Amino acid sequence: MEWLIFGFLAVWLLASVFGTLFLKNPVHVILAFLSVILAIAGMFLHLGAELLAGLQLIIYAVAIIVFYVLVITTIPWEKVKKFEGIYKREALIAIPFLLVSFGAISYMILKGNFYISQKVPTENNIVSVGKSLFTTYLFPFEVASVILLTAMIGAIILGRKEE
Amino acid sequence: MFLSGLFGVIIRKNLITLLVSTELMLNGVNLGFVSMDRIVGGVEGQIFALFVLTVAAAEVAVGLGLVVAIFRLRGYEGSSEITQLRD
Repeated sequence: MEWLIFGFLAVWLLASVFGTLFLKNPVHVILAFLSVILAIAGMFLHLGAELLAGLQLIIYAVAIIVFYVLVITTIPWEKVKKFEGIYKREALIAIPFLLVSFGAISYMILKGNFYISQKVPTENNIVSVGKSLFTTYLFPFEVASVILLTAMIGAIILGRKEE
Repeated sequence: MFLSGLFGVIIRKNLITLLVSTELMLNGVNLGFVSMDRIVGGVEGQIFALFVLTVAAAEVAVGLGLVVAIFRLRGYEGSSEITQLRD
């Protein structure tokens, strides 16, 4: 049963990833990306990361997708359509590199020696995430907030009208 | 588990709509983190995935701001034509 759910999510995810990569229309690309996000959120739920699933839904599916759609509506449609499609030659060149790196990573995963602890991971997942987030990883947390602030200011500066 | 490693890799090609592809890469890495977490049985992977999520949000803000700025300056151009940073 678990593998059934995982397989379903995996097929869904792969299909929408390929949709994202190869669809022509930018709006279709974004819809496929939304599907990717939903599939990944389902995957997180399945893997027992409820907090991340919720955050994924809130941040990606709401904020980022809406942002993309907003930017697409900002840009006139004919100009967007002029550059749709993919670069054929570059894609062909990229395929061997992708295959090689895929082989390397799958070799690593198959032959790798994971230290597998047999403890049942999550009696209460969110509690443990929050605890270690605010104790062990407090400093990276603060740095992340500073990064967000910087990005916000940068986006405002980039996006403002030249007077 | 092997499949989820596979995603992170398949996802790694950015051809068009570069920003969306970047988001795909980040998501693939996130998925890898969380599944490793599940295998190893810790909670650190989820925290790192959280940070990746933060960085993704920042990246989207700045990247789309850049796209809008480029469009304002000289009309939208394909990624092949943005070859000079200033003119």
